[in-house]
Amino acid sequence: MVPYETAAIPIANPPATSSSTTTTAISKPPEIDGLLAGAGYKVRSSDLRHVAQRLERLETAMLNSPSQHLSLLASDAVLYNPSDLSTWVDSLLSELNQSQSLPSLPSDLSDLVSNPTALDGSWMDQQLPPPTAAIHNQQPSQLTVVEEDSGIRLVHMLMTCAEYVQRGELSLAGSLIQDMQSLLTRVNTGCGIGKVAGCFIDALGRRVFAAGGGGGIPGSAYETEILYHHFYEACPYLKFAHFTANQAILEAFDGHDCVHVVDFNLMHGLQWPALIQALALRPGGPPTLRLTGIGPPSPDGRDSLREIGLRLAELARSVNVRFAFRGVAASRLEDVKPWMLQVNPKEAVAVNSIMQLHKLLAGPGLDPAHRPAPIEAVLGWIRSLNPKIVTVVEHEADHNQPGFLDRFTESLYYYSTMFDSLDACALQPEKALAEVYIQREICNVVSCEGSARLERHEPLARWRERLGRAGFRPLHLGSNAFKQASMLLTLFSAEGYCVEENEGCLTLGWHSRPLIAASAWHALPETAAVSPDVAVVGGAVM
Amino acid sequence: MARSNEVSINESKQMVVPLNTWVLISNFKLAYNLLRRPDGTFNRHLAEFLDRKVPANANPIDGVFSFDVIVDRATNLLCRIYRPSDTDEPPNVADLEKPVKSESSSTVPVIVFFHGGSFAHSSANSAIYDTLCRRLVGLCRAVVVSVNYRRAPEHRYPCAYDDGWTVLNWVKSRAWLESTDSKVHIFLAGDSSGGNIAHHVALKAAESESGIEVLGNILLNPMFGGELRTESEKRLDGKYFVSVQDRDWYWRAFLPDGADRDHPACNPFGPKAASLEGVKFPKSLVVVAGLDLVQDWQMAYVEGLKKAGKQVKDLYLEKATIGFYLLPNNAHFHIVMDEIKKFVSSNC
Repeated sequence: MVPYETAAIPIANPPATSSSTTTTAISKPPEIDGLLAGAGYKVRSSDLRHVAQRLERLETAMLNSPSQHLSLLASDAVLYNPSDLSTWVDSLLSELNQSQSLPSLPSDLSDLVSNPTALDGSWMDQQLPPPTAAIHNQQPSQLTVVEEDSGIRLVHMLMTCAEYVQRGELSLAGSLIQDMQSLLTRVNTGCGIGKVAGCFIDALGRRVFAAGGGGGIPGSAYETEILYHHFYEACPYLKFAHFTANQAILEAFDGHDCVHVVDFNLMHGLQWPALIQALALRPGGPPTLRLTGIGPPSPDGRDSLREIGLRLAELARSVNVRFAFRGVAASRLEDVKPWMLQVNPKEAVAVNSIMQLHKLLAGPGLDPAHRPAPIEAVLGWIRSLNPKIVTVVEHEADHNQPGFLDRFTESLYYYSTMFDSLDACALQPEKALAEVYIQREICNVVSCEGSARLERHEPLARWRERLGRAGFRPLHLGSNAFKQASMLLTLFSAEGYCVEENEGCLTLGWHSRPLIAASAWHALPETAAVSPDVAVVGGAVM
Repeated sequence: MARSNEVSINESKQMVVPLNTWVLISNFKLAYNLLRRPDGTFNRHLAEFLDRKVPANANPIDGVFSFDVIVDRATNLLCRIYRPSDTDEPPNVADLEKPVKSESSSTVPVIVFFHGGSFAHSSANSAIYDTLCRRLVGLCRAVVVSVNYRRAPEHRYPCAYDDGWTVLNWVKSRAWLESTDSKVHIFLAGDSSGGNIAHHVALKAAESESGIEVLGNILLNPMFGGELRTESEKRLDGKYFVSVQDRDWYWRAFLPDGADRDHPACNPFGPKAASLEGVKFPKSLVVVAGLDLVQDWQMAYVEGLKKAGKQVKDLYLEKATIGFYLLPNNAHFHIVMDEIKKFVSSNC
């Protein structure tokens, strides 16, 4: 009898794969069932039978549970990473509390499955389509088209202009920019494609006409803070980042009495009141909380970091949380040295990075042999702090591609969607200033190069790789975080925003296009695990 | 309860189901059990958390690229459009809606697709349906428009039908979807609840004197029912992933409060339904799985169409279960894909 495994192995690669879940064709383990992968589930072919048995067991357990019990389980249990079917089924089983006695399992599931000798020959003879060509490594190019007619010509011109720029034909690009500017006067720049086109035309103009070769929009740290604050109010991206990270941090701090949060970009500390309050309400009482906030130095002699710290301290005092704040002024994250954070080895540390890590990526053009990317060094020292959790939120986009045209196209799609989501916001002047905030990002992506180009967004798949290589492992965000995010969005934001689960991470997007991704990580201990059988020479006591 | 579980294992020993299909559909079945509450409400958060979704992708993969369109801002009605591509290069954003006639001198079928999920589950961007739509593009050399219709129980009848109608009108009015004869060649297709929606949207098109001509309906395991308990429902209850109880739950979630399963949405040829005689209804291809407990209703639907003088081809697959068309690992899948291809090309 032909064993079922060979009968069940389908086409090697599914016809369509979201390349945000696989980065390269090579990295996908060959033994994963390709058809189930296409359906969004990762199961090794060799595990299929085992998973099937567990599903049968789960069904029995569910049949033996009253339906109210099941609904309660569904509402209250925290579930993780549904893509990993094997773990998923097992976690459901343990939730259902396997105290019931089970009927005897079928001894051999292979009868259930296709036995090719039993099939009529026409199926066996049929040529299965050959394995698909290499899965595209590119981030999916996603666009939600909302303007159907107006501005299409403008978009065509933008793409042509970007091509001229890539080819170095700056005078052609320049004259096209002028044409676009005059076309803009006839298009509604108040919303839709006209608005986003305006930003891109402006950014191209700065790149092409700037004296020193590429210029972003100058602005003080103070202006940046104001714009950030309005972006925070006008749309849910930053709020989502904050409450998702906070939920994960809260869980990671469970059972610890001394906790320390390191915030890579304090701004106005908007993220922290909610965490302070949640810690205050923790069963068993709040821990002692230290917050270290990193931010740019204040030019005018004020110590803005300290001011924020004082306000947070007042709040903490009002809810009886022992709190200490330290500000670390640094213009760039790579200038921060771990000793500045004064981490105590007895504390549980959380490192929180909201849209900061991408600024540390070396441009692909730089020779990594001469100057290692700051990202590696920073990830290295984060790891040396031995954090309980590292919360990372990044733009879900590939704006760091070496080719200008690719970057331009990707960002046009991305920011069109983001602008579209902002259209749903009614608050003024929040909306207008949020648009300026976004415009600055666009400008940086399009018109800056080298060390000036900070907005080097990379997609989740690549961050996963990078963090994995740096010795971090994922901490999955679960159904409770998902539900909280969905509910808050329904309450506070326009319809159209949507939260999605992506293999233990959460994304927030507009309609079906994810725009930001939140993930959590912990570091593997740096000291090698020592087998008890091996003598340790001069080693530390574990 | 345990008894029916044992019986299903024994029955299924005679059944040809690839293991990965069994795992996929069983997983859906059990997950869905968690989502349906006895009081008729639905755990939408958990449903969205569990649903495996894929983004649209303007990079052609195996000759197909996709992008999303908001068809109606008022209801946030979204569609995912799939188009064939002859190159590996992603189209320019301005070319996403490049006229289909500029790429093909022969007629280009436009298939408006309604995903399944018993009116409550799944979305246009669910991985399983993204895959299916991509296959349809390649198979029929068609543009596929997958409708992200509003779902029960939050949105009952007739929301899903209204959304289908909105998209049908939208498709008809897109100049870029016209073939060289300046007409849009429209087919409606759907599986499970999507098949039901396809029927009702075609009906509306025919009755409304809109002038919208639907060239054909493709119904895969369409979801129909009625108050009567049919023989197949009794015989197959709980045996192959589906139970009468869960069907009843979904109808209660979709139909208006107080309606029973003889409501014409559920039972289009039942005692409460209007006759189709004289209505210019499209040709239909109806695929029925022999292990689907709803098959008696599906065959009654086929009979109903025939009696009303409508052209219908029914394809009965004796050993097929629900969802057989989701993975290309069984004979039924290939047979059905072939039939769909023939149906579209001969009626286009």
